[in-house]
Amino acid sequence: MATLAFLFYYVTPYIAVAVFFGGLAYRVYRWWQKRPAPAHFSLFPRPQSRLGRLIDALVDMFTLKGLLRVNPLLWVGGFIMHLGLLFVLVGHVRAFTDFYFLWKLLNWGKEQQHTFSAVAGTIAGTLFTIPLFYLLARRWSGAVKWLSVPEDFFVLFLLIGIALTGFHMRLFRTVEVEELHRFFAGLASFRWQPVPESAGPAFIWHFALVQLLMVYFPFGKLSHIIGSVLSKMVARS
Amino acid sequence: MLAKFLDTVRQRITRPLQYYQDICVRCGACVDACHFYAVSGNPAHIPAYRMMLVKKLLQQGGNGRKGLLGWYRETGIASERMVSELRQALWECTGCRRCSVFCPFDLDTALLVNMGRYALGQEGMGMEMVAEIGNAEVSKGEIIDALKEFYVDQIRELEGRIREEWGVPDLRIPVDEPARVLYVPVVGEHAIIPLAKIFHAAKESWSLSMFTATNHSFFVGDIEKAKQAAHWIVQEARRLGAQVIAYAECGHATRTLLNFWDHWFGDEIAGIQRVSVVQLVASYLQEGRIRVREGAFDVPMTYHDPCNLGRNAGIFEEPRMLIRAVATDFRELSPNRELNWCCGGGGGMIAEPDMFEVRMKAGQPKAEQIKRTGARWVVTTCENCKTQLADLSERYGLGVEVKGAVDLIADALVV
Repeated sequence: MATLAFLFYYVTPYIAVAVFFGGLAYRVYRWWQKRPAPAHFSLFPRPQSRLGRLIDALVDMFTLKGLLRVNPLLWVGGFIMHLGLLFVLVGHVRAFTDFYFLWKLLNWGKEQQHTFSAVAGTIAGTLFTIPLFYLLARRWSGAVKWLSVPEDFFVLFLLIGIALTGFHMRLFRTVEVEELHRFFAGLASFRWQPVPESAGPAFIWHFALVQLLMVYFPFGKLSHIIGSVLSKMVARS
Repeated sequence: MLAKFLDTVRQRITRPLQYYQDICVRCGACVDACHFYAVSGNPAHIPAYRMMLVKKLLQQGGNGRKGLLGWYRETGIASERMVSELRQALWECTGCRRCSVFCPFDLDTALLVNMGRYALGQEGMGMEMVAEIGNAEVSKGEIIDALKEFYVDQIRELEGRIREEWGVPDLRIPVDEPARVLYVPVVGEHAIIPLAKIFHAAKESWSLSMFTATNHSFFVGDIEKAKQAAHWIVQEARRLGAQVIAYAECGHATRTLLNFWDHWFGDEIAGIQRVSVVQLVASYLQEGRIRVREGAFDVPMTYHDPCNLGRNAGIFEEPRMLIRAVATDFRELSPNRELNWCCGGGGGMIAEPDMFEVRMKAGQPKAEQIKRTGARWVVTTCENCKTQLADLSERYGLGVEVKGAVDLIADALVV
């Protein structure tokens, strides 16, 4: 068990990062090997100018306005989940460095920094997690059950697992950010440092599941992070 | 099983088709979009499921082996059902792309369906009748000189009739003459009569094409043949020095004309403007080249946005402008424009007698939509929709009359 934990702390993180970026690059390369679209497959109405179409695709990508119009409930599930995820990821900047500039600007001390992170982090985590359960329940409902394959459940359970272990650290432990900084700086500089004890037992689970996600990410449906903007441009070509 | 189908699909998967398959998250937003699924409840009619079927077949490699990750990709579809489901998924689709509007990634199921149809055709599971008409359209160009005399005779006869009925002795229907506008009709004199009147009133320099706009090869996904058939029209336009090619009220042909011809013919059509005849007539009206009796029709009427003119080619406002010019009681369908329900008869089904029951069923949402407006006339700008809507009116007892937008203008012309 100790060996396994050691692997997940100090060895597999490198593999996960390499597979994540390498995999995404490989995915895009495989797409580019295929023949390009043989005609304009536009959906109308669409903006006239090229720039207008690019902006429209990006706005649609970041707001899902098209989905909001036809299926508001699914929009809540899809959009709020992604929004929460974005907030959560921004918050995780504190695991590697810190918002020194912001703290200075607001003239906040340690105590205030921590209170703010606790409140904002909990809200962001909730925005991320509750829609995940809705999306999971939806997999068994109505016509969506015909569309559900093991991959869909795998991704949802993985994300829920990551969210719950994250909540454990957020709500039941007081994580010392300096410990995290030291640990990740050690990984990045190949001068390995002790694991952050203050994060508690959930840390290794959280860390390992995220690595699993990163390894899986480029090879499944989550590659829509890149593909969706491409397909949106095809629909506005 | 399905070896030819899979070979063809593998060869023909283009870049967008590849990432459509890879990134579909199967969220189910498209479930509410498809009129086939709305009436059948058959999973093979869910747009994302159509994609899943093809993807699954590709992953299995067609030889029944599942590979290392087979258990994980298993979707629970029994493979004996798969062939019949595949047939339903690919043929019982009108390619209306309403699901693309619903999709959060704008994935184009119709593009996959179109390619898959060609592949099914290679496997001997095609729509024979549609493919045959497509072949006839391709070979027509080779025998056009022999057909010309007969065609011109028929047109002269029609010309005489219009002159007499309309009381305009100097009306002409030029065929194969140098002109500014080359008008490409669909089969039948109903596509020629109103335009002959409108072009006469607008004093347009025009010529009637000896070909038809319809391109059935496109329906069966045979893009090479579709190009060949359309190329006859390109050659005709260049021979006559046409500056404008105007396509009749025909959905799929208008879409290919406006969106595909750049890719198909490149420089060959440089400098030739391509429009739907609906746009052309709207421009006459705007420029004051023709005049109509305002409020000529007080019948309650509605407009059905054909998928291929509306969300697939962006012609939303011109037909409405034509209708508003002559109607006093115009009612919109709900939903309309890019969210309009498909009539249920597209994708070549009209030409296949076996598909009659399928398309009557698929048209149910449309029939209900029309009934709700209380309109007596349904105006539309696609030949396919016109036939389907007339059939729907009979089947569902709607008691509506189906008209083209240019028919309204021709009937209200002030000469």
